[in-house]
Amino acid sequence: MSGGWLAVQGRLPLAFMGLGLAWLVAGTLMLLAVPALLALPHAHPHVVALTHAWVLGFFVTVACGAVYQLVPVALGTTLANERYGWWHFWLHALGVPGMVGSFWLWNLKLLGHFGFAVAIGIVLFTINTCQTVRRSGRRNLVAWSVAASGVWLLTTVLMGLLLAANRHWLFLPVDPIFLLRAHAHLGLVGFFVALLQGVSFQLIPMFTLGEMREWRCASIGFCISQAGLVVLAPALVLHHGLLSTLGAAAVAVGITCSVWAMVRALGTRKKRALDPGVRLFLFGGVGVWIAAVAGAVLVAPWTAGGSAAGGYNAMVYAIIGIGGGLLPCIAGMMCKIVPFLTWMRAYGPHVGRGRTPSAGALTLPRVERVGLALQAVALVPLVIGAWTLSDLWLKVGILTLAAGVVLFAADMLGVMRHLWRPQIETPVPVRAAK
Amino acid sequence: MMKHAIETKLDIEQVWEALRSIPDPEFGINIVDLGLIYSVECRDADVSVVMTLTTPTCPSGSWIYEGTKEALKGLPGVGEVSVSMVFDPAWNTAMLSQEARRQLGWKDEP
Repeated sequence: MSGGWLAVQGRLPLAFMGLGLAWLVAGTLMLLAVPALLALPHAHPHVVALTHAWVLGFFVTVACGAVYQLVPVALGTTLANERYGWWHFWLHALGVPGMVGSFWLWNLKLLGHFGFAVAIGIVLFTINTCQTVRRSGRRNLVAWSVAASGVWLLTTVLMGLLLAANRHWLFLPVDPIFLLRAHAHLGLVGFFVALLQGVSFQLIPMFTLGEMREWRCASIGFCISQAGLVVLAPALVLHHGLLSTLGAAAVAVGITCSVWAMVRALGTRKKRALDPGVRLFLFGGVGVWIAAVAGAVLVAPWTAGGSAAGGYNAMVYAIIGIGGGLLPCIAGMMCKIVPFLTWMRAYGPHVGRGRTPSAGALTLPRVERVGLALQAVALVPLVIGAWTLSDLWLKVGILTLAAGVVLFAADMLGVMRHLWRPQIETPVPVRAAK
Repeated sequence: MMKHAIETKLDIEQVWEALRSIPDPEFGINIVDLGLIYSVECRDADVSVVMTLTTPTCPSGSWIYEGTKEALKGLPGVGEVSVSMVFDPAWNTAMLSQEARRQLGWKDEP
């Protein structure tokens, strides 16, 4: 392996992680500035802006960085095209703030321009991941999940552009709310869940020194979820209650299979104590499963409609899925990836020359634990606040979440500080030869 | 594969001590206790090591490999240093030392 390759390794995923962290802070600031956003209807332009700040700004950015780092590891190859990755980074870094601003101001023309830039970046990402899968020669669950998640992400972005164009020119006689729901589920289930249903089974056993014994169950779960999404997305567009329920139920059943396979894999682990990041990631997996079951119930034709307190409320479902599922998964992922990438760049070149810490030792364990716990605890007042449309509960939830985000961001920045100030201990002198 | 060592002039304990100074960044356990060192041979001042990684695609593997060479080159009086990376036999958890098992909290006996 050449020294030059080693020197640049990890830069691209770290850049995505840093950008994602900035979006986490920005998304939290938006909530702090206007707590009542969570009590507005989910199609309100400000809510759409907030959702894109969190989902496209934070979750997708970190997930793409994770793909650039972990997928080559999981598939035993190298990234197909690093340059495409950097183009994607800059298009994403410039396009997403423009999109969030355009949503907030409800300027659809501007939204189209920035959305196009983001879409080009996602095209490059999808080409890159599919080429990486192809060059790996693997045709297993991990490979299929990576390829599928890339294609679904691209589909989501293109559907988003279609939605914006249709709001401007009105060329499709479809309710924009139905398109919006399909767009959201393509992204959440197609990109995030598909990725989690594949890559997790390679990485969690690796991090915990366990064995994956239920590949068949995990593969079946992935296929059922994919089939469910293929039914769910058009059913949501057509507002077909029965097909939407069938699709959502299939997604929930598929995720249940994946959760079972993961439980079995964890049972074989040799590293008994789980890292906070892995623990949170698994907590998020359970949150995704709960959200999937809740989604299947909520979409059923016999479920009470409306968004009044006590009835169907899309915000509650979104908070459970995003705050209880994606946030822990993505934050947990960052807790593993950021220290490791920082270690690679700051301490990798010093291995054998001085005493280097482990990647986990770069974090502030107590700050990390409290920060992650506050993020998880915030879910309760947020759900109560959104369900009962209570400003007080929403403010309590947002303040708790913000405290958790501050501590989490401080921990991540503390880790990244090692990039500029590595702490190399003087090597212990080896005793002289006899 | 059984770990073995052929010693002549270079102190074999120095070599093992140098190898123990290299931690795996993921688990924080040194590469000897992790079972990554398959063999060490010392002939006069020359040292030859055969090692592996927990997985062939280990992202920190290149740094561990380079670091192993650097640590051995830093030994006083060492001559030629040779480090070979092999993946057959593949690493498995049975290769963990008792100390590594203790650190991981793995209670089962091999």
